[in-house]
Amino acid sequence: MTVTSDIAQVRLAQLGLSLMALGLLGACAFNPMRPLPAINQKLEQNGGNRDPSLSGRWLALIKGRDGRERIELVNLDQNRPISLPGLNRPDAQPLNVSVDAAGERMALIRQRDGRTELALYRRSRESLQPLPLEPPGVPRQVQLSADGRVLAVQVSRGGLWQVDLIELP
Amino acid sequence: MLLQERISGRVLPLRHLSRWQPHSSPSLSWRGRYLALIVQRGDRRLAVIEDRLTNRLVPLPLPGGLEPVKLSLAPDGQRLALQLVAAGRWQVELFDLGGVLEIDPPAGEVLRTPALAAP
Repeated sequence: MTVTSDIAQVRLAQLGLSLMALGLLGACAFNPMRPLPAINQKLEQNGGNRDPSLSGRWLALIKGRDGRERIELVNLDQNRPISLPGLNRPDAQPLNVSVDAAGERMALIRQRDGRTELALYRRSRESLQPLPLEPPGVPRQVQLSADGRVLAVQVSRGGLWQVDLIELP
Repeated sequence: MLLQERISGRVLPLRHLSRWQPHSSPSLSWRGRYLALIVQRGDRRLAVIEDRLTNRLVPLPLPGGLEPVKLSLAPDGQRLALQLVAAGRWQVELFDLGGVLEIDPPAGEVLRTPALAAP
C-alpha cells in the first residue's frame, strides 16, 4: 500500500513538472501574431519599405529601389502591386501615404520643388488633387478614414504639432 | 495618447496606456474597438493593441529582438502591418491577427453567422 502510494506521488510530481515545463515553454514561445510569409517574402524583394497603411485588401507603402522612393499599392488578395498612373513623379519625394478600404482614395504627403504638399489620389480617375492647408502649415503624417471620407493630418504650425481633420466630398 | 470621439469631441478613457510612454503610431479599427500603437517598455519598443470593449491589452512581441517603428491596423482588426528595421534597412511585414482579435465590422453592417449567411 505504501509502495503504491509512493509511486503515485512520484508520478504526480513528474506530471506536475512536465506541465510546468510546458507552461514555461508556452509562455516563452507564445506570440499571438502569425506572419504572412507569402506576402512578406514578396514585400522583401527589391529593396526596403516604409510607412505602411493597411485597409481592407489593400496595403499602401513607400518602396525604396535603386536610391529612389515611390508609392506602391499592393492588392493583398492577389499579392501583387497594381498600377498607379499619374501618382509617382521623378521630381517628387513621397513622405507618407494612407489608403481607404476600397483602395480608391490615397492621401499622401510629398516633397516637390522644395515644398511639402498634401494631395489626394483617386485611382479610378487617375487624378492627383492638391489639398491646401488652412491656415498654412507643413504636413508630416496623414491618415485616411477607412471609408475615405475624413482625413487626419499632422501639421507643423509655428513650431507646434497640430492635427487637422479634413472632410472630403 | 489621446482618444477622442470625432462627433461629440468626448475624450475616451484608455485603461492600460498611462504607463509605457511615450506612445507612437496610433491606428484604430472601424468602430474604434481596437487601438493599436507602439509603446516604450523599458528600453524597448513594443506594439500593443488595447481592446476597448473587453479592457484587454494585447502585447505583440516580435521574434528575434526586432522592434517596431510604425504600424497600421486593418480596419476590421484582422491584420497588422509593421515597419521594422531589419538588416539595416526599413522593412514592412504583415501579420495575421485572425485568431487573436474578433472582427470589428463597419458601423451599420448586419452580422450573420456563417450558417445563416449561406443561401
